Amino acid sequence: MAFAIPKENYAGKVREIVIGKGDKAVKIGGYDSMPLCTFEGTWPNKPVVAMEVYDVAPELNAQGWPPATFEAFKDVINDPGAWAKKCLEYGADLICVQLAGTDPNAQNKSAEEAIEVVKKVKEAVGDIPLIIWGSNNLEKDQEVLPAIMEAFPNENWLFGPAEEGNYKKITASAIGYGHLVAGKSSIDVNLAKQLNILIENLGLSLDKVVMDPTTASLGYGIEYTYSVMERISLAALAQNDDKMQNPFINDLAKEAWKTREAMLTVEEEPTYGEQNTRGILMESITAIDLIAAGSSILIMRNPTAVKVIKELINELYS
Amino acid sequence: MAVNYEILAIGENINIMSKVIGPAIKERNAKPVQKMTEDLIEAGCDILDLNLGPARKAGDEMMAWLVKTVQEVDPRVGDEIPLALDTTNTEAVKAGLKVVRNPEVTFINSISAQKESLNTRMPLVKEYNCRFVALLLSEEGIPRDVNERGACAADIYNKALELGIPENKMYIDPIVLPVSVDLNQVIAFLEFLPLIPDFAPGASSTCGLSNVSNGTPTELRPKLNGPYQAIHMVLGIETSIIDGYDKAMMDLVKGKKKNLVDLAGRFLAHELDEEKFPNVAMYIEANTDYKNQPKIDPSSLEGEELEYYKSFLVLTGKVLYSHSWLEMSV
Repeated sequence: MAFAIPKENYAGKVREIVIGKGDKAVKIGGYDSMPLCTFEGTWPNKPVVAMEVYDVAPELNAQGWPPATFEAFKDVINDPGAWAKKCLEYGADLICVQLAGTDPNAQNKSAEEAIEVVKKVKEAVGDIPLIIWGSNNLEKDQEVLPAIMEAFPNENWLFGPAEEGNYKKITASAIGYGHLVAGKSSIDVNLAKQLNILIENLGLSLDKVVMDPTTASLGYGIEYTYSVMERISLAALAQNDDKMQNPFINDLAKEAWKTREAMLTVEEEPTYGEQNTRGILMESITAIDLIAAGSSILIMRNPTAVKVIKELINELYS
Repeated sequence: MAVNYEILAIGENINIMSKVIGPAIKERNAKPVQKMTEDLIEAGCDILDLNLGPARKAGDEMMAWLVKTVQEVDPRVGDEIPLALDTTNTEAVKAGLKVVRNPEVTFINSISAQKESLNTRMPLVKEYNCRFVALLLSEEGIPRDVNERGACAADIYNKALELGIPENKMYIDPIVLPVSVDLNQVIAFLEFLPLIPDFAPGASSTCGLSNVSNGTPTELRPKLNGPYQAIHMVLGIETSIIDGYDKAMMDLVKGKKKNLVDLAGRFLAHELDEEKFPNVAMYIEANTDYKNQPKIDPSSLEGEELEYYKSFLVLTGKVLYSHSWLEMSV
């Protein structure tokens, strides 16, 4: 008798989500098997890479960016539009505008300044869909993100993170101005479900919602992120829990590039080896782990890491 | 064992962690403590738990005072209405046993399978011929599954037999954990309950029920506690440590809500995956008639019964818990 691979039958399916509009719109989700288990079901949409463009120029130093990434963008670092174009050359599927500069504890940039940045990026990349990511400051994000939604109505872009403390304003604006929301919960399967329910109760269809389970880097708790993504996926697919059937986004570059392993120079830590390779590996392997955990959108930074991951995705999901 | 429509209620409310009563205990202010004791007796509590927590500083004095204070309320307290001395300070337990009206009905809450607990506390059970809660906790901490619970129970049981302590002095607590923390533990508890007669023949059972809803918004906690209790009653639990001020809970454990217990029985009989709940399935088959009763039609339920049904779904892992579980349609 021929060997037959034992297969799991899943009862549920994750929603297909469309970001952007027209020919350049990006589709994610729509899968009905666990990640990489394409012998048990289908993943009609491959995971995608969103490359970061920052609203304030990073610096080349121990608090900012190490050379591996800085060098790749140094010509465009003060021009969000040119930066975004460069990302497309490097293979980005979407652009993620990181509004770290709006954080009151950083440069405290205003909503108007953020709108200017988004405008430059939009003018540069045309119809490529955008992800607009706040500074993780609950108060400021619920002011800045809705202002951008209002300035660019009905673009069907993805805005996040919306958390339990600020999802109301962000979600209400997304409904009013025709955008999507990424709901962020802190590594907890029950809280993730609760946030989806709350967002839906406000009136946003779950067809417009992506889940951010909170992302940790390799070596700094990625196993917790992996585990909660696995549990959410099992609830969605095996238990057919319709409040959990939403694809994931992972804001990983920030996490991977603030690790000791990425930041320390060879002089500071000779045993770690060459710094550039190290940082790129930290970002790449974090991303690989998140693909294995079921990520649909990877927010990434370094072009070499992006190249590695795009090739890998094409091989895994061809 | 069979379905228990009525079980003994151990009131959990006299607790040093309580905002109401904690300061009164620390200041040796008898009035609020005695008022609460009256309330709990009035509510129908059969046993009163006196929880002093770690009680590291002068715990013995505090426990002696507390026992005397609650005993002043009613001549039955400490005897017909037994006390459970709930503290990790063994000197405080001893001090309580010395002043309680009838040590033989008094509980030590608790003795775990940890060496120190077995060696210092089990001899007290022998000395006072009292009862004790066997908390299934080992040197490694909280047991992860049914088998580790069994190993803990066997350790405690054997230690008791070694000292010549009768089996019926032992009340096994398989440890309730919150549904919002680890659902597998909520299930492991249910799977262990039917095994108690195998692991510890002649022993009784109890648990700290309210922990199942720890982390759930306060006003919703009774909505999980009640249904979990109803399931325990189907599976033959004999006592439970509960909130004496939860009127609905008191009605349930005093046999005034048989419909809800039977609803739990029908749920367990027809809606559980037997591979995930082999012990529960076997127990239901052997000890109850629920297999012959109809499967629940959720569309026919309303009010309290519908809420119970929704809670059964999250407590058995059929539906993933979220704080809005009662708002979901079934």
